[in-house]
Amino acid sequence: MLVALFALVAAVALAACGGGDTVGGGSDNEVETAQPGPVEGEFNISNWVGYIDKGEGSTIEEFEAKYPGTTVNYSEDINDNSDFFGKIQPLLDQGESGGRSMFVVTDWMAKQMNDLGYLQQIDYADVPNVDANLKESLRSPAFDPDRSFSIPWQSGMTGLLVNKRLAPDVTNINDLFDPQYKGKVTVLTEMRDVIPLMMKADGIDPEDATKEDWLEQIDQLQEAVDSGQLRRFTGNDYIQDLTNENVVAVIGWSGDIALVENDDVEFVMPEDGCILWSDNMVIPVGAPNTAAALAWADFVYDPKVQADISDYVRYVSPVEGIEEVNPSLAEDELVNPPEDFTADCSTQPNPPGSAEDVQEVTESFQAVVTQ
Amino acid sequence: MEAATATTARHVSDSMPARAWAWLRRNALMIFAGLAVVYMLVPILVIGLFSFEKGNDQGELDFAWDGFSIEYWTDAFGQTAVNDSMITSLELAALTMVVATVIGTLMAMALVRYQFFGRRATNLLIILPMATPEIVIGAALLSLFISYNFELGFTSLFIAHVMFCISFVVVVVRSRLIGFDRSIEEAAADLGAKPLTTFRLITLPLLAPGIMAAALLAFALSLDDFVISNFNSGTTVTFPLYIFGASLRGIPVQVNVLATMLFAVTVLAIVLVLWQQRKAEQMAAVRPDPEV
Amino acid sequence: MTARRRLVPYGLLAPGAIWLALFFVIPMYFMGELALRSGTFTEGFQPAFEVSNFSDALSGNTDQFVRSFVYAGTATLIALLIAYPLSYAIALRAGRFKLLLLFAVVAPFFTTYLIRTIAWKTILSDDSPAVSVLQFLHLVPEDGRVLATGAAVIAGLTYNFLPFMILPIYASLDRIDTSLIEAGKDLYASSTQTFLRVTLPITAPGIVAGVLLTFIPAVGDYVNAEILGGTGTAMIGNVIQSLYLEQRNYPEAAALSFIMMLAILAVVLVYLRVAGSGAFMGDDEERS
Repeated sequence: MLVALFALVAAVALAACGGGDTVGGGSDNEVETAQPGPVEGEFNISNWVGYIDKGEGSTIEEFEAKYPGTTVNYSEDINDNSDFFGKIQPLLDQGESGGRSMFVVTDWMAKQMNDLGYLQQIDYADVPNVDANLKESLRSPAFDPDRSFSIPWQSGMTGLLVNKRLAPDVTNINDLFDPQYKGKVTVLTEMRDVIPLMMKADGIDPEDATKEDWLEQIDQLQEAVDSGQLRRFTGNDYIQDLTNENVVAVIGWSGDIALVENDDVEFVMPEDGCILWSDNMVIPVGAPNTAAALAWADFVYDPKVQADISDYVRYVSPVEGIEEVNPSLAEDELVNPPEDFTADCSTQPNPPGSAEDVQEVTESFQAVVTQ
Repeated sequence: MEAATATTARHVSDSMPARAWAWLRRNALMIFAGLAVVYMLVPILVIGLFSFEKGNDQGELDFAWDGFSIEYWTDAFGQTAVNDSMITSLELAALTMVVATVIGTLMAMALVRYQFFGRRATNLLIILPMATPEIVIGAALLSLFISYNFELGFTSLFIAHVMFCISFVVVVVRSRLIGFDRSIEEAAADLGAKPLTTFRLITLPLLAPGIMAAALLAFALSLDDFVISNFNSGTTVTFPLYIFGASLRGIPVQVNVLATMLFAVTVLAIVLVLWQQRKAEQMAAVRPDPEV
Repeated sequence: MTARRRLVPYGLLAPGAIWLALFFVIPMYFMGELALRSGTFTEGFQPAFEVSNFSDALSGNTDQFVRSFVYAGTATLIALLIAYPLSYAIALRAGRFKLLLLFAVVAPFFTTYLIRTIAWKTILSDDSPAVSVLQFLHLVPEDGRVLATGAAVIAGLTYNFLPFMILPIYASLDRIDTSLIEAGKDLYASSTQTFLRVTLPITAPGIVAGVLLTFIPAVGDYVNAEILGGTGTAMIGNVIQSLYLEQRNYPEAAALSFIMMLAILAVVLVYLRVAGSGAFMGDDEERS
């Protein structure tokens, strides 16, 4: 009892000083613009695993060589937008970034962070390479029309990954719901990829969709779950399912096609177009050494540097002119898609309306995923 | 039913099937145990097998057997990110194991050996962390660390890992302590041994299997933790965190190589220890008679 | 002397109790307070006494609740049926190889679950020999599958929590003196009787501990359902995960966690009553 008592006393004492604050709700800090300056000292960047070649003569070393006196601490500590947000949000809420000068998150997460006042703005005068070389199609996405807080690191397409031998006629998102493929198809747990793709197949433009449109598509998904049509909701663990032929067609990401070791599996651009998304460099509030962060963003938008990154990552590069540095990159339409290939694609949209509306849509979708 | 089967078996003991049946019955336990061991080891066999697989063009696991290769074994430590995260995790697990086992064993001793005020409350305190969803522990600890401006990294991971290992250690050690024959300790005390000497020479050796089992569990728990670590790691990357991240882009085959190595090294180390200990064991083969 | 002796247990408890108080009780107090807050993430969760979080958390998730306990219970039972004979063989029949076998059986768990699970997915993929055998034995329907079903989730739970069952049972079996079993055979003649009257009672604490160590964390697990499960196999852990990370409804996530913990405690208390709490607590008077 002594112990329990001790714990209780400690807890109450702590609650007296710690509790009571609002949890969540975003930062009240004023929106700042990332400050340029002399590039030197330590620079911490967090990125997803495998998004840069860390070997010898890497982009990181080149950067350090270009700016003597700079040390880049490149951490691969982001696995998932939601997980990362869960762990960094309490820090950002206090106006801190855990020492990170920059990190990389997907469009909708960048928007969410910006809405909460967690991100610094970027002045394009400080990043001339980005201004010059960012691809036209990525310059004004709906979530950040002026690209004022996000600079694409790499982009990608969400579409169909199909086993051409077992499901030769899957060319449209709605073909996934063909009963002959019952239990052999999967979709992503990522609502902003799945629902807009389903809308496009039904002739609805995701950019103009109403909340009711979103909810209706979620209902359709529910029916597919009830009938056993959908095998499961996945992250990119569909790679193994496709390789082992547990599934014949999935909604998935273009960059993963290289990881599917099954010659019959191909990326299929859905008849009604794909979803284009980017993982973006952002500069959080409280970021130390924003000068180095800006210099880094500018550095990787040099086509010579970007060509190395792109050659290693094999996603869609957001930078113009890499094919002139490395002509082999031009051949792969998944790395450097020609404009007519992605003509029908949309950028990743957010459900419309107020925060409550978005919450309602998210809850309905999650209810389907976790049943 | 037991007796009936036995009689039938004896009755027709001359026929071949009956003899086979009798053999099966006699060795049923060992056969079952053998199958169970195989079951436990099947994944590690597959992991080992695929460490010799060609992988994809970028040297990553591709889940399908399409060629033999030893290139990843000759370049076992060629992936710095894999090595670094593995070393971090092994250090963390070793440290966690030692601290959690010591703390947990002391708690178990107190709970089994003594009647004291607050025992039930303490029992509750032991069970609750096991019943709490990892994500809730992870998130709650994170807010604690942040509200005290505690820097996230190896130390915060260590604190978290010891925290969730303690309960498991207590429960395992306690199961060994219950029904423990106290008369040997009393005999030692009667013979003039000091409490600490008694503990070192009598209690500890008798508890050893329980403590070892608990330590093993703590080590495995720490080495395998993802959710709680993910929240409290800062920019430190442990092996599970690395694997999870890598799985998004393709897991280097070296991961399988190191996993296989870790298994092989563990088993080899035990073989060596057994070799060394054989004589010592023979000398200390005094075995007390526990009462029922 | 007596006063000092009375303080001994507190001294033994102190390090662990303080660690748990600081890094479990206090954070959980915050969680408890969070579970009663109202509001939304974007507006901020304000301090309140919002009991409806608990009813909201429960309604609509009853399927997952029942499923979690059924899956975890089944997995615990299967794990016990596998672990007991295995531990028995290792502790009493393996001679000086017992340590080696014990480590060999536990060492696969030094590999990260993701790697193990990838291995299981390879073994159990739809066209694999393992599944063909199961289909041949009519354990799986002709056109059926193992992956992405409830059975796969239970199998995953069973496998991943087996060390939690094996280790305490092993630790309690290892102290059995084989001469005791011999004596038992002389007394009761049949080996079944010996097992029931001698071996089982001595190892009861190990079994109780193993069952608790397997069942309790298994109920709250979400990884197996996420990786091996399909649609309609989500457990309560998956719902909590989603509430916390995807829906950012921290109060409801916390409330649901507390409901789950209470339900687990209730089940554990009933279980200990049936199994005899002496086997868990080590109370002398209750044991006799």
